[in-house]
Amino acid sequence: MGIIIAVISGKGGVGKTTTTANIGLGIALNGKKCVVVDFDIGQRNLDMILGLENRVVYDMVQVMDGEVKLKQALIKSKMSDNLQFLAASQTKDKSVLDSQKILNLVTELSKEFDFVILDAPAGIETGYEHTIEFADRAIIVVNPEVSSIRDADRAIGILDSKSQKVKDGGEVMKYLIINRIDAKMVQSGEMLASEDILAILSIPLIGKIPEDKGIIDASNQGKPIILDNSSLAGKAYSRISARLCGQEVPLENVEVLKSGLMSKIKGIFK
Amino acid sequence: MFSFFNKKSSAKTAKDRLTIAIMSDRQNANSFPNMDAMKAEIIEVVKKYMGVKAIDIKREVNGDMEALSIDVQLDNK
Repeated sequence: MGIIIAVISGKGGVGKTTTTANIGLGIALNGKKCVVVDFDIGQRNLDMILGLENRVVYDMVQVMDGEVKLKQALIKSKMSDNLQFLAASQTKDKSVLDSQKILNLVTELSKEFDFVILDAPAGIETGYEHTIEFADRAIIVVNPEVSSIRDADRAIGILDSKSQKVKDGGEVMKYLIINRIDAKMVQSGEMLASEDILAILSIPLIGKIPEDKGIIDASNQGKPIILDNSSLAGKAYSRISARLCGQEVPLENVEVLKSGLMSKIKGIFK
Repeated sequence: MFSFFNKKSSAKTAKDRLTIAIMSDRQNANSFPNMDAMKAEIIEVVKKYMGVKAIDIKREVNGDMEALSIDVQLDNK
């Protein structure tokens, strides 16, 4: 049985969908079979980030309702043979989700894939609750900023009380990703440092991602930034994906400014 | 000079404010003032009509919606 991971944040716009796309692809590039599912019913976006928007024919709601077979709705990524994608419904609203149907869907997916990654909608309402309901693990994405951290704490609270694993007496494993870190601002004391965020949320860190303008370019093209080996954010996502696959990769301190000779020379030519 | 100092420590301000806000969020998540008094009163009312074994009151917050969930376990002997 594969591992079901929900990617959550509470607040919107912190990089949840970008994270889902990149770690999904990163896991696939590590040789594991991976499926990413967009649970943001009515606000489908993961298809754009993965560059698959033109290939969506059927969505996950049609699969859950038995209108089409899972195989018909799964879309294979061109970027890795190990990665497949299941789109959210764009026309229906969140009320179509139903616990039993979701359980059936994720169970079927976890039989075929090593990793099932669910991209949760923003907020902490029913769409979110349904996404975390049957998750084994959760990746919490935050930005080093007060509203994101506070909303993430509320989302974690709901995860710890409403997931099926917790109701059965277990625990959902949680990992924190701190996204959009500006090293300069952290150094000058204008941005929360990762140790402060960890002290407040008290969940284990799985990676830190620096602010990277290349993310916009990557989403413009529908090519996740992890494919760009020269990008700082891409490298950070590669390290996180390797950790999720069980490899020991040391944490890189992206909060320290790299002012070595090489980067200065590179800076001149930019 | 003073404004420069303020700017420099704004991450510390953020940490302190967040710590307090989150602590109060967590406390408020499941309880509310006078919960025990309300519990006792509800037990008295239900007891007039049937046996009561236990009562559990929870405040549930879900986005903008708040609900009070009251679970009364009856004593059916």
